[in-house]
Amino acid sequence: MKLSARQICFFLAAVAPAGKLVLMPSVLAARAGNDLLFPVLAQIAVQAALVFAVLLLARDGRTVYAMIADMAGGLIARTACIVFAAFLLFASFVPLVEQKLLVQSLFYDTLPSYVAFAPFFLFSAFLCAKPLAALGRVWDVLALLFLTGFAGILLLSVGSADYGALAPVGNAGAERFGRGLAETTGWFYDAALLLPLAGKFEYKKGLAWKGALCSLLGGALILFFLATYYGIFQEIAVTQLFAFAHMSKYFSGITALGRIDYLFIFAIAFVMTFCAAMPVQAAADALTDAFGRTKPLAVSLSVLFNAALFAVMLVFNFAPSETIAAVTRRLFWIFPLFTAGAPLLLWTAVGIGRLIGRKTHAKK
Amino acid sequence: MRKNKFLHSLPLKLWLLLAAILVLTFFSNDFGLVDIQKTAIILAAGIDRTEEGFELTAQIAVPKGSDRTTGGTSSMEIGGQGATVSDCVSQIYAKTGWVPKFVFCDLILLGEDAARAGAFDALDFFLRNEYAPDSCLLAVCEGRAADILGAKSAVDDASSLALEKLFSDAAKKSGRVMTTTLREFAIGYYGVSASGSMPYVRMQPQQGAQGAQGGAGAQNGGQGSGQNEQEMIFSAEQTAIFTEGKMAGILDEAETLAFSLLGGNVYGGTLPAEGATLSVLRNDGSVTVSAEDGISAALNISLKVRLVNRSTPAAPSDVAKGAVTAEERAAAEKALEEAMRSLWTRCAETGCDLFFLYRELYRRSRADYGKWKDTPLSAFAVEISVSVEGLR
Repeated sequence: MKLSARQICFFLAAVAPAGKLVLMPSVLAARAGNDLLFPVLAQIAVQAALVFAVLLLARDGRTVYAMIADMAGGLIARTACIVFAAFLLFASFVPLVEQKLLVQSLFYDTLPSYVAFAPFFLFSAFLCAKPLAALGRVWDVLALLFLTGFAGILLLSVGSADYGALAPVGNAGAERFGRGLAETTGWFYDAALLLPLAGKFEYKKGLAWKGALCSLLGGALILFFLATYYGIFQEIAVTQLFAFAHMSKYFSGITALGRIDYLFIFAIAFVMTFCAAMPVQAAADALTDAFGRTKPLAVSLSVLFNAALFAVMLVFNFAPSETIAAVTRRLFWIFPLFTAGAPLLLWTAVGIGRLIGRKTHAKK
Repeated sequence: MRKNKFLHSLPLKLWLLLAAILVLTFFSNDFGLVDIQKTAIILAAGIDRTEEGFELTAQIAVPKGSDRTTGGTSSMEIGGQGATVSDCVSQIYAKTGWVPKFVFCDLILLGEDAARAGAFDALDFFLRNEYAPDSCLLAVCEGRAADILGAKSAVDDASSLALEKLFSDAAKKSGRVMTTTLREFAIGYYGVSASGSMPYVRMQPQQGAQGAQGGAGAQNGGQGSGQNEQEMIFSAEQTAIFTEGKMAGILDEAETLAFSLLGGNVYGGTLPAEGATLSVLRNDGSVTVSAEDGISAALNISLKVRLVNRSTPAAPSDVAKGAVTAEERAAAEKALEEAMRSLWTRCAETGCDLFFLYRELYRRSRADYGKWKDTPLSAFAVEISVSVEGLR
C-alpha cells in the first residue's frame, strides 16, 4: 500500500498545521509580542524549502534506510535510523504534553485525574502498530475535518479581532525575533516527519514543488490564525494557552445559540490527536524499515514506545511547563539539526553516490 | 484462508475497539455529568477588600422545584475570606464541601473598596484560572459586593441574573450602560494606556414592595435573607473609570451616554431635547489623536435622530413624521457637547485614557509615542464636534 501524491499534499496543507495551534501561539506571543508573525514566516519558508528537498530526495522510491544502506552499508543505515527514531521520540514530547493539557483544560470543567490521559496511549499504540502508509485515507478525512473546523472557528473569530494590535511592526527587535524563531523550532519539523515516508508514496512529476506549495498554504493558515489570535487577545495573548478553543466564544451569536463553536473545536481536537501520535508512529516506522518490516516487530516497538512515553508523561505530570521549556528553550537546537541536517546530509550522500556511480559507469 | 486472515487481524481490531472506547471516555468529560451534591455552580462572584485581604462571595445556583409555581433558578450566597482570592475559594470549599465551579460564572462584581485599591489584585485569579471564562462581565458596585449579591431582587430570582439583565445587548445599544468583559478590561489594563471602565451598580429599595408579598425573589436564600426582606432594584447607568487598575472616578449618566455615543454603540437609544425625546437611528462616533502639530484629540459624534415623544400634547401627524425642529436639534447638540466636554475633563483629571489614545499613538508611530507618552491628557488640545441630524 502506498500513499498518493494527493494525500501527501493534504497532510502538509491541512493536517500538519493542526499541531501548531495549541501552545505555540502563546509561546510566540511571550517571545515576540505583536511581531509574532515574523518568526513563523521564517519557519514556514525554511520548512517549505526542506519539504521540497525531502520530496525530491524520495523520487527514486527508496526508503531512507535503503538510501543509506546502498551508500554506507546496513550497519550505518540501522544506526542512523535508530538515532533518527530517537529524535522523533524526543520531538513527540511537546505534542503529547500539549494534547494532555488541552484535553484536561478543554473537555473537563474541573481538574481530572492525571491518569485520565492514559487511553491516548492505547490509541497511539494502535496507530504505531500500523505502517505509516496506512494513514493516507485517514489524512483524506482529517484534512476535510481540519479545514471545516478551522474555517468555522475563524469565521466566528474575525469579528472580535482588532488586527491593529499587530502594529507597530518591528517592535520586538532582532533579539526577540531570534528567540521566537529558536523557541518555535519544536513545532516545525514537518520535513523530518516526511523522511520516514520516503519510498512509501508514488512520486509523480511536480510533487516536490506541489508539496512545498501545500506547505506554504498550511503556513498561510497558521499565519492567519496567529494574526486573529493576537487581534483578539492582544496584551493578554501570552496567557491564552489553548486559544483555538477560546477565540470563537466572543462571537455575539454564541450568547443566544450556546457554544456551537464546540463542533469546530472538537473537529480540530480530533485532528490534533493524530498529529500528537504522528512523531511516535514515524519513529516506530523508521525502525521497522531498518530491522525488517514484520508485524511482531511493529507491535513490539509500538508497545515499547508508548509504554515508555506514558511512563515519562507520568513522571513529568506536574511539570508540564518545565517539560515544554526544556524542549523548546534549552534543547531547541536538536530540531534544526535533524529537520534540516538529515535531509541535507542525505542529499549530499545521494549526490556523491550518484557521482561515484557515474564515474564507475564511465570507466566501464 | 479468509477465516485465517480475519483471525490474524482480530487482536488489532479488538485493540482498536478498546482504544476507541477509552478515547471516547477520555474526551467525554464524564459525559458532562455534574454531581450537584458535590458541586457549587457559581453564577456570580463578588469581591470585597478586608483587612487581611479579600472576601469572595459566590452566588451559587440552587435548583428549585420543577412545577410551574416554583420553577426557576434560586440562589444562595457563600462567602470565604483569605489573603488571596484563591484562599477564599479554598475556604468556600472547606466550609461547604462543594467544589466551586466557575465555568458558568457570568459576572464578577467588585465592591467599591476593592475597585479603588486595585481591581486586578482580585481579577488576576479569574484571568489565569483556565476554568473561569474571561468573557464574563465585570461591574463595580456602591458599597460591598456581598450586600448586592445577597440582596433580594425585585425582578429576578437571583440578584446576579437581575444585574445581567442590565448588561444585555439591548441595554448596551440604548447607550445607558457601558459593559465590559474580563478580557476587554485585562487588555486595557495590560496595554500602554493602562485604563478601562466598568458599569457602576447602585441598589435601592423598590418603592412600596415587600419580599413576602410575591415578587420573583421569594426563595432567595443566603446571608441575612428573611421573609420580610426588602426587595431591591439595581441601576447601572453610571460608569466607573480606572487608571492603572484602580478606580479613579465615576461618570454620571450623561457622560456615560456620551461615552457610549463616542464608541458608536447606540441604536434605538433616546436623547432628551428641550421637552422632547429623540431616538437615535444612526450613531457614528470616533475619538482620534493627532501628533502633527502638538498633541491633540478630536472627539466626534454624528447622529441621525427622529422624534418619538413630546412632553406636551402634539398633533398626531407631528410625532408620526418624527421630524425634529432646529431648536430640538440645537438643544440635543448642546447637551451632548457639554457631556463630552465634562467626560473629557473627568478623564483628564483622573488620568484615565478611556479612549486608548496612547495606544493609538503607539500603534501608529513609536517615535510619536516616545515623544508624547509622558504628556498628561490634561495637556492635550481637544476638539469636540457634535452633529445631530433630524428626519425631515
